[in-house]
Amino acid sequence: MDAAIPATGAHDTHHHGPPEANRSSRVDPQMLGMLLFIISEIMVFGAFFTTYFFIRLVGDQPWPAEGTELPKLIAGVNTAILLSSSLTLHWAQTSIKNGNRFGVKAGMLTTFLLGLTFLLVQVNEYVHIGFSPADHAQGSVFYGLTGLHGAHVFIGLLLLGMVTVRAFRGHFSKEEHRGLEIPGIYWHFVDVMWIVVYTTIYIL
Amino acid sequence: MPLELRRPGWSRAFTYSLLGVAFAYALSLGTRAGLDYDPVLDGESVLRICLIGVPFFFLVGLGLFDYWFRWASGAPTVPEDHSGHGAKSWKSYLYPNTDHKVIGIQYVVTSFFFMFVGGLMAMLIRAELAAPGRQFVDANTYNGLFSVHASLLIFLFIIPVFAGLANYVLPLMIGAPDMAFPRLNALSFWLLPVAGFMMLASFFAPGGSFASGWTAYATLSNTAPVGQEFFTIGVQFAGASSIATALNFLVTIITMRAPGMSFFRMPLLVWANFSTSLLVVIATPFVAASQFFVLLDRSLGFNFFDPGQGGDVLMYQHVFWFYSHPAVYIMMLPGFGIVSEVLAVKSRKPVFGYRMMAFSLLAIVVLGFTVWAHHMFVSGMQSWIRVPMMVTTAIIAVPTGIKIFSWLATMWKGVLKLDTPMLFTMGFITMFVLGGISGVMLAMIPLTIHVSDTYFIVAHIHYVLFGGSLFTIFAGVYFWFPKMTGRMYDESLGKLHFWLTFIFFNVTFAPMHLIGVQGMPRRVADYADQFATWNLIISLAAFGTGLSTLVFAYNMISSWRGGRRAPANPWRSLTLEWQVSSPPPVFNFDEIPTVVGGPYEYGVPGAVHGVFGGKTTTAGPTQEPVTTGTPTTSA
Repeated sequence: MDAAIPATGAHDTHHHGPPEANRSSRVDPQMLGMLLFIISEIMVFGAFFTTYFFIRLVGDQPWPAEGTELPKLIAGVNTAILLSSSLTLHWAQTSIKNGNRFGVKAGMLTTFLLGLTFLLVQVNEYVHIGFSPADHAQGSVFYGLTGLHGAHVFIGLLLLGMVTVRAFRGHFSKEEHRGLEIPGIYWHFVDVMWIVVYTTIYIL
Repeated sequence: MPLELRRPGWSRAFTYSLLGVAFAYALSLGTRAGLDYDPVLDGESVLRICLIGVPFFFLVGLGLFDYWFRWASGAPTVPEDHSGHGAKSWKSYLYPNTDHKVIGIQYVVTSFFFMFVGGLMAMLIRAELAAPGRQFVDANTYNGLFSVHASLLIFLFIIPVFAGLANYVLPLMIGAPDMAFPRLNALSFWLLPVAGFMMLASFFAPGGSFASGWTAYATLSNTAPVGQEFFTIGVQFAGASSIATALNFLVTIITMRAPGMSFFRMPLLVWANFSTSLLVVIATPFVAASQFFVLLDRSLGFNFFDPGQGGDVLMYQHVFWFYSHPAVYIMMLPGFGIVSEVLAVKSRKPVFGYRMMAFSLLAIVVLGFTVWAHHMFVSGMQSWIRVPMMVTTAIIAVPTGIKIFSWLATMWKGVLKLDTPMLFTMGFITMFVLGGISGVMLAMIPLTIHVSDTYFIVAHIHYVLFGGSLFTIFAGVYFWFPKMTGRMYDESLGKLHFWLTFIFFNVTFAPMHLIGVQGMPRRVADYADQFATWNLIISLAAFGTGLSTLVFAYNMISSWRGGRRAPANPWRSLTLEWQVSSPPPVFNFDEIPTVVGGPYEYGVPGAVHGVFGGKTTTAGPTQEPVTTGTPTTSA
């Protein structure tokens, strides 16, 4: 992520560094690292989904358990909020490629606020849902999966927060915007994962 | 604040750790008071937050996040943050460093420290088992000993020591100046001592250390005393370290190879670590998740494993083994790589079937994900899963067999140089074949039902992990010792070490097959009198094995301090790490070499793997020597 260091080209001239590594692939190392990390993340979710289906399909308890009606509609609206944050993020990313600094700032700020709204609605849902993870295994998997996703939204928001601060400080330019691209991929992943979580838990 | 506490380093790390403990108290007291819990001060809750939180305070204090914090807040970054690059004296090894060579040595030394600690526990276990009845420790301590023994040797020795060796040689082998993410690399290393310290500290927990084995099966683990959480959380740190390293290896291998080094010109060690890293990235999240479940059950009253509330106990085993079966390949594939390197150099012949060696690694990666339930044949799971798992388990012996036969063919009619690395390599092949055969036997459902949870399992696992992985680790350490330290090790002490280890190892573990088939249960501190003779023999041999490692330790330390200076390429090897000085210069290469041929063209006249100076950069393909993998019987 060194590329995001604000223009300090002069710094390198008097600093004896390593020889330039050969680039044996067109893929950006940071991008590849993030993609591999996302594979890892998918597997974490995979383990939680494994649990979910074990308890739902292999277990012998009635499904859904008494008093576990989920607020499909509110969660659906929340889904729309999260998905639109992906769009505004994309707007910020296209803006920087076109050199539109206002678009970057506005896009990042909106994305951050939409993500925050999603998280707050989710917390509100926990407060009013009427069962706890300690009640039964179904509550455990519900809180487990949505909580895991919530934790990812939280981490994503931290990343977006950093990017937003840097966007307002003018650290990104038409040429150098990997610091925006790579957290962006993570945020898109968090969004796509939510669609899977929402479909599985609320719809199916 | 005084300067000493503002600068990254050990003083700041300890200060921040104390802050972390204070934070844990504050968080626990605050939350419990806010929710009107009684009593307000709950030791377990504070301890739990400490276990999760204090490591982060420690690592931040040590300075592993300084650069990222500056970067994230948009402040100007200092490239020297996260400490320097390259070791200036032995003290540099005690601080975070971004040089892959320093990190590699930090890894290897730390993991060998944990090997000695874990080995001492094995000695205690064998002392207890020397005779029937109770000798030295009570049953609970015994359970703790074998649990910590296994956890340390798996998570803090075998997995990281391979990462350490690869950390040192892999960037050199592919002609890269460093790893792709040097700061992440430093962080990966420093997570390890944290995890190891945590597991060792569990002995001081109220109720004793974790005692449910390294598998930590629910419902043992979610009802055990608080010592269990030292494992549950410690594994998270070790796992995070291993995922970060794997990701780093993959990105390094894919994006930083020297010009001309196509995938099929990579040394097999690089291939092996490529495959291992794929396994780590894909599988390790599952063990993290399984321990999350246990932690949630223990701390927040979740019901993942409470059958009375609709939880599923077997689900733990499925999730756990979906990681832990690939994990046995994580503990073996890098060793396969080391063996291929050593065999080719010491036989002066190209590796037989180079491409098949690479493909069989990938085949093991894929098949490794399809066999997890063979650990659960007697668990009471759905019986229809058994037969498919038996078949896939038998199939996975095929790519492994390809490798064994290729190694044998590599040695065939070679000019063998029987020095210490080669002896360990050949010892590995014989021992691993024995362990592999008992593995295929264990794939067969009827036999597993008979010998499950007996010493037959103990014998099998030690034949593949001790006779297999550890022998390759010894081979690798001796092989690259001249490169890593710039000194030669003592050859006669090395041979002595090998023969002592080889003989005592077999006397220790071979009889376990017999008493296992006769039904001696594992993981029990006591046993029936009929097994007394064999156990006494095993214990005596185990002490011999333990003593033999002292020869190794003495050899390593004395040779490192005052051994003969090593030339750049004492083994006349072709791969790139031997083409630079011993130890290599701080940035590995003055200029990146160009690769013009395969890595194992021994016995081929005029064969070159890499050239420096760029004189022949354009002549690469035309100079291509004979096709890789063809056995040169004329040698």
